[in-house]
Amino acid sequence: MVTAKKTKKTHESINNRLALVMKSGKYTLGYKTVLKSLRSSKGKLIIIANNCPPLRKSEIEYYAMLSKVGVHHFNGNNVDLGTACGKYFRVCCLSIIDPGDSDIIKSMPGDQ
Amino acid sequence: MVKFLKPNKAVVLLQGRYAGRKAVIIRSFDDGTRDRPYGHCLVAGIAKYPKKVIRKDSAKKTAKKSRVKAFIKLVNYNHIMPTRYTLDVDLKEVVSVDSLQSRDKKVTAAKETKARLEERFKTGKNRWFFTKLRF
Repeated sequence: MVTAKKTKKTHESINNRLALVMKSGKYTLGYKTVLKSLRSSKGKLIIIANNCPPLRKSEIEYYAMLSKVGVHHFNGNNVDLGTACGKYFRVCCLSIIDPGDSDIIKSMPGDQ
Repeated sequence: MVKFLKPNKAVVLLQGRYAGRKAVIIRSFDDGTRDRPYGHCLVAGIAKYPKKVIRKDSAKKTAKKSRVKAFIKLVNYNHIMPTRYTLDVDLKEVVSVDSLQSRDKKVTAAKETKARLEERFKTGKNRWFFTKLRF
């Protein structure tokens, strides 16, 4: 049975793109600022860790549906997402405001 | 990237005395004001929902059960949950920020809102807005 398994290659590419956004673009980390960026329609892509509590995940997805912004479910928990952002703390959700040099917005949002 | 906290959007209040009540955005202040330096909006909502009307109710009972109590409030964006529903009632000239300055202005504005919401409820439209949120 072929399940839509996220291969190691695409996962690494998300990490690479995220690193480029961290270096050259604008982003916010954390639930409160993610909602703020969605309300002010500044967010362009939302990334949610896989161990995000389901109510919070649904709330962010609902806001994103209202503001027509893509949501990407990161293949890793909040510890991994924090590491992928180059931070030493856990990140459950983040919002990319300006991708900078990265093409993460163009290549990711097909992905739900 | 679409702004959705616009007038006529139906929202649910999450905090305060009116937590769990549905309201409609009348005016939004995205960048705040001098007194409220945060994003907030002026909402008009339902304090007391109309009760369920059944077939064998008399006309007097139906009228009594279809009453709505309204409220007007300035709420922080963090304390509302936007929904995908909208409510098209023209409350812009009835409700304004200065109608919240004094008690009697607030009461008259709330009475007028109550009248408009009741007539909207009696037409049978926007049924979702007038049903109580169960939680």
